[in-house]
Amino acid sequence: MPTVTIDGIKVEVEKNATILEAAQKAGVWIPTLCYHEAVSRSGACRLCMVELEGGDQKQLVTSCNYPVRHDLVVSTTSEQAVKARCGVMELLLARAPESEELKELAERMGVLQTSFPTVTESQRNCILCGLCIRVCEEVIGQSAIGFAGRGVDKAVAGPFRQPAEDCIGCGACAAICPVGTIRIRLHEEEQEIEISPFKSRNKLIVCEECGAMIISAQVSEQALRKIESIFAEFPHRLRLCPQCRKKQTAKKLEESKVFHKKVTVS
Amino acid sequence: MISTDAKFTSPNDIAAFARQLRNKSKAIPKVVRVCIGTGCAAKDSRKLYELFQEAARKSSRDVRVETKNVGCHGFCERGPIVVIDPGEIFYQQVEEPDVAEIFRETILGGRILERLLFEDPLTGKKATKAAEIPFYNVQKRVVLSANGLIDPTQITDYLAAGGYSALAKVISSMSPEQVIEQVEESHLRGRGGGGFPTGRKWRSCREASGNGKYIICNGDEGDPGAFMDRSIMEGNPHSVIEGMIIGAYAVGAEQGYIYVRNEYPLAVRHLTGAIAQTRKRGLLGKNILGSNFSFDIRINRGGGAFVCGESSALIASLEGKPGEPRAKYVHMVESGLHGKPTVLNNVETWTNVPKIINNGGKWFADIGTEKSKGTKVFSLVGKVVNTGLVEVPMGISLRRIVEEIGGGVKDDKKFKAVQTGGPSGGCIPAEHLDARVDFDELTKLGSMMGSGGMIVMDEDTCMVQVARYFTEFLQKESCGKCTPCREGLAQMLHILTRITKGEGQADDLDKLKALAELLEGTALCALGKTAANPILSTIRYFQAEYEAHIQQRRCPAKECKGLFRYKIDEEACKACGICLKNCPVDAIVGEKKVPHKIIQEKCTLCGTCWDKCPFSAVLKV
Ligand SMILES: Cc1cc2nc3c(=O)[nH]c(=O)nc-3n(C[C@H](O)[C@H](O)[C@H](O)COP(=O)(O)O)c2cc1C
Ligand code: SF4
Repeated sequence: MPTVTIDGIKVEVEKNATILEAAQKAGVWIPTLCYHEAVSRSGACRLCMVELEGGDQKQLVTSCNYPVRHDLVVSTTSEQAVKARCGVMELLLARAPESEELKELAERMGVLQTSFPTVTESQRNCILCGLCIRVCEEVIGQSAIGFAGRGVDKAVAGPFRQPAEDCIGCGACAAICPVGTIRIRLHEEEQEIEISPFKSRNKLIVCEECGAMIISAQVSEQALRKIESIFAEFPHRLRLCPQCRKKQTAKKLEESKVFHKKVTVS
Repeated sequence: MISTDAKFTSPNDIAAFARQLRNKSKAIPKVVRVCIGTGCAAKDSRKLYELFQEAARKSSRDVRVETKNVGCHGFCERGPIVVIDPGEIFYQQVEEPDVAEIFRETILGGRILERLLFEDPLTGKKATKAAEIPFYNVQKRVVLSANGLIDPTQITDYLAAGGYSALAKVISSMSPEQVIEQVEESHLRGRGGGGFPTGRKWRSCREASGNGKYIICNGDEGDPGAFMDRSIMEGNPHSVIEGMIIGAYAVGAEQGYIYVRNEYPLAVRHLTGAIAQTRKRGLLGKNILGSNFSFDIRINRGGGAFVCGESSALIASLEGKPGEPRAKYVHMVESGLHGKPTVLNNVETWTNVPKIINNGGKWFADIGTEKSKGTKVFSLVGKVVNTGLVEVPMGISLRRIVEEIGGGVKDDKKFKAVQTGGPSGGCIPAEHLDARVDFDELTKLGSMMGSGGMIVMDEDTCMVQVARYFTEFLQKESCGKCTPCREGLAQMLHILTRITKGEGQADDLDKLKALAELLEGTALCALGKTAANPILSTIRYFQAEYEAHIQQRRCPAKECKGLFRYKIDEEACKACGICLKNCPVDAIVGEKKVPHKIIQEKCTLCGTCWDKCPFSAVLKV
């Protein structure tokens, strides 16, 4: 197993592990944005740059996708590495000036402000890291969104920049978005979930008991297809909100007298 | 005797067939070659070809005339070009009405039409042959040697000119190892921009484990104004294919791809035709020339984005994915197309290969400088007298290209800079005009070899505008995947734009330099890494010009609108009243016989008077 010496700390990692994984093992923090362990690597945001030492030349590389194939000496604190990461962060702050999440990460890196004006506006506050696209394709299996355009016109959108038709309203993109730009909006009147900024809308299942909005109908359907349940009540239970589900389960238990008198509900 | 469309089953067939073809062609005494390269075709040279054919058909005289469409001659400035054999008589700027006379006088009568010959503007001497024209005799044509001679749609033309003899040599007498040794000995470096040693690339791929290796030809040529690769693919497609087959033999590949940009339909057509002919002849496909080596080539059309020429983006595009670059921490020679070991080379690189095999690596290495061998094709454009496609030996000075081949700067203007290396190249000023064409020397000067763009700029060119133009191009062509390139280029363009508007700020140059450094260090692919070259090189050589814009709100080249004024030269003004009539804001006063004047307070600097004055009496000051 190759050894990675990172800021002086030595760790052994599997061959072809990444420098970032080695850093995690060594307890060294490297800021990341377009990286998430649930999806494939992209290397797009360039925030995780570190400096490779040794060999014939020093070299800046992205730690999230640089494979360790032999022993490496890495610095996350060299002047070049810090300058590179902070420079990238300043550009990102200019692009997404309203993201609190980004500001927090910048602060943790010691970047308190950006010297650049906001000049790119294809999609406000989106840093185009592509995590949403990858999670939608690789984890959810929908590929409802993708990149449209290129360069400064690039944006994340549904096909032909129209509302994403294949979106099932699961919200994985919103959950993975590192800058808080993708939001879930609930439309009470229409009983719909909207994923902004993709303008995709999905019907929600409403609790059969209390009328609370629970989950996108499509997500529930897909989940049901994936689960083989011998519990006949299951599909019905899914149509209840968690509160009502609890209540009904308790009631059913009470009726069946299975745990008669043994269970005390606190 | 080998029948005219027979399949070759042994390497010996090639030489025998070529001999046969040459004997046959001796029987046709007259040949007319009409250039259908990019420049000439734009001036409707195809029509000339048809007229010559018709004339030949209708001629009552008992003389056999062969009419050929040929690829770019390079001297596009003087197109359409028609060359007549015997005698290699070189006619330029030929027009439709000339065809009948050429046919009667030159082809049938053997007399030369003086008025269609090239006349040296300096000496007034007429040139009968191309070789007598400075534009050509300073060049060294290796890659382009058959362009302008052979009909690219006929494999027989290529064979008669010695085509596929290198392949025959490789298959009959060389091991893959020996092929690689020759390429290594030649010190051939990639012509697509990076200048990576081709032999080393091939060796790594040969040594990489795994089967199903690939060979790719990069014919994306996205540099604006460049047409080197286009002219080769259109004018001599077989030379590219032969190079690829030899490469495949050397590294052990079975499948090849040629990636051509969609805007090159003629290149696609000629390559497609050439591949079909090669297959039929047993030069591609199973058991090439009767050996146990098999290889085939497919053509892929690129979507036309500049970034698709970048190796990893090209591969993504071939795989049917969006044409975006990927990390190359694992080299393509180990894991390229579909994860298989892959060799990607540029069109011109491939074309050099048969020459190297035929003449030996040493022959190639004898041309050029210590670290840059062979020749390089450039598309010479801009403010130069002779624009066109030129091939020069490495090591020739930029001065000789601009002054001797290019004939100097147009309209007696002063030379200011020559831009090499494509959009992310740099500008080289007059004081370095004696620099040699050499990968490392051009890089040291802040420019690069690139794939062969060469733009000459005169004294009226504003270097801030030049930087802005290329930055804008790159900003538009950036794929937008990575932060520094997408955001950094937008920031740089923002700064440059404000400088050209006279709104520059004191620390703008420092900001540009810091951004340049950031891009070079952190961008994902070479587009972003080199994108600041136009800015850095113009700051390096023309800093005073930037400062004039920023500090004095003045554009010394008088190109940036608003940063200079118009004034009427009283001596030159004939008081004709044209400017006065045309000024849209009535900012000009004057009467008959009284020199006119511009009221500066009213003038909006639209430039109408400057355009309209028939006596050039309006000056930019
Ligand atoms: C943005 C960009 C565009 C490129 N475009 C081309 C191109 O159009 N043609 C080409 O041959 N190489 C192009 N290259 C270089 C290729 O990535 C690659 O280095 C080259 O094709 C390798 O072949 P060579 O070694 O024969 O030069 C480009 C590189 C970059 C970064
Ligand atoms: S450097 Fe530019 S072109 Fe290359 S990957 Fe980054 S954004 Fe795309």
